[in-house]
Amino acid sequence: MNKLGKLGGTAALAVAVLATLLPLYWLATLSLKREVDQFAVPPLWVSFQPTWAHYSDIFVNRNFGRYLWNSAAAASVSTLLALAMGTAAAYSLARRPRPGLAFWILSTRMFPPVVSIVPLFLMLRWAGLLDSIAALMLLYTAFNLPFVVWMMRGFFQELPPDLEEAAMMDGQTRLGALWRVVLPLVRPALAATAAFCLVIAWNEFLFALIVAQTDQAMTLPVGIAGRVTQYEIKWGAMSAAGVVAMLPVFLFAALMQKHMVRGLSLGAVKG
Amino acid sequence: MTARRSEAGWLAWTAPALLVLGALSIYPLLFAVEISLRTAGGYGLDHFRRLAADRLFLVSLGQTLLYTAAALALEFALGLALALLVNREFRLRRLVRAVLLIPMLLPPVVVAVLWRLILNPEFGVLNGTLRGWGLETRGLTWVAAENTALLSVILVDVWQWTPFLFLLLLAGLQGLPVEPFEAAVVDGASRWQVFRRLTLPMLRPVIAIAVLLRGMDLLRVFDQIFILTQGGPGFATETVTLYIYRTAFRFHNFGYAAAMSFVLLAATTTVARAFLRLLRQQPA
Repeated sequence: MNKLGKLGGTAALAVAVLATLLPLYWLATLSLKREVDQFAVPPLWVSFQPTWAHYSDIFVNRNFGRYLWNSAAAASVSTLLALAMGTAAAYSLARRPRPGLAFWILSTRMFPPVVSIVPLFLMLRWAGLLDSIAALMLLYTAFNLPFVVWMMRGFFQELPPDLEEAAMMDGQTRLGALWRVVLPLVRPALAATAAFCLVIAWNEFLFALIVAQTDQAMTLPVGIAGRVTQYEIKWGAMSAAGVVAMLPVFLFAALMQKHMVRGLSLGAVKG
Repeated sequence: MTARRSEAGWLAWTAPALLVLGALSIYPLLFAVEISLRTAGGYGLDHFRRLAADRLFLVSLGQTLLYTAAALALEFALGLALALLVNREFRLRRLVRAVLLIPMLLPPVVVAVLWRLILNPEFGVLNGTLRGWGLETRGLTWVAAENTALLSVILVDVWQWTPFLFLLLLAGLQGLPVEPFEAAVVDGASRWQVFRRLTLPMLRPVIAIAVLLRGMDLLRVFDQIFILTQGGPGFATETVTLYIYRTAFRFHNFGYAAAMSFVLLAATTTVARAFLRLLRQQPA
């Protein structure tokens, strides 16, 4: 490629990187600025006196500790449940292929969630589970299950069955062989799948919005939404809440690593 | 163990998953059919008949399709351009790729809050910066005015989801065989010819998958718009999902909301079937 073209490409990438990072950096600065500095013209990018007041404000006065806990509980419990049930089903579908059933399971993932919000709301109300974190744990489990089944089935298919059969010759049960021989081999895949489930549950908004009636079952996204749709927005507090809600996602992303393409494309593109 | 018992054993492994999906995915869908058919005097198609005459529903459907088409086109074009740029050897390549992926992993609610603060016409940093440069910002109303709101929410979507197209297309590019490209260079093909005649056609399966998956998600857009505009100003950014949510949970008309959701389901199903067909054609 000629020199000019190369330079143009580098410049375009630099713009893309800046366009990605500047808004995030700005949110972080807003969360650390005193109110007088938030709306300064020209904007203050680096030189302002930082304060942690907004962070203590959201946790002490605005109940965000509760939302944080709710988000963490709903995401982690639903991920564990989806992994346990999904891995078992995936293993079965990998060793005794039933393509029809596997595709049917995947297709349940493709319904727009809004189709089920009315029936689910009525079902939860009937079961007395509205405004409870248990409801979100159940809904996210069901939402992530097809994904786990589909992904783990693909990973299991790549392992030769001889492995666990040898272990079973040695007197292991099938469950024992799965637990001691197969699962350790797919640990990175399992971690990536778990990370996807965590991100999806952590970021989810629509189900969380219909389940939560009070602070008791609000997750971070619902807690944030409830405060920005009012007329007056507390910029510092909302920025701090946004930063808190973002941080765990970076951790989950590190777990996905090389399986990210496969997960995002439901196995259709090999990364 | 007899063959039959072993078959039953294998099926038992799938039982917990199937039970949960049956109770929380399939049953709600059937229940939604029943809810949508309930009328004052029994069962009937009243809600579906009302759909065709509901101007607001048609407007929100049109805006959803417009939103989907515009965002998809922009995200695809930008994603492909970025993928081509990153698909070369250069220093910091892994870092650049990792940074460009960030937006799509973030909670859409937070992304919307972030942009709501940035785009605020009076106090936001974007107009503030422009004013600092001596520019006139009175026309830059972003999500706050009817004529600019839809374009603004589309741009926020582009910021968050271009990375999705970028990542899948980049993976597609990296999976292409090298030989045809070497042969083309030997034959003296121009860069444009290589792109048009080789890269694009060979990338087609990945393009189809990426566009279908993103298209399916765009049709159900909710979170960002709920935070940025609540469908307003007026109904400038009302989408089907938002209208369904409002009908069900503000106006408590569950039957009508369920009926509307089946229109969205029909649209999504068309896209989903195309995706599943592509998936089936792939070697396992």
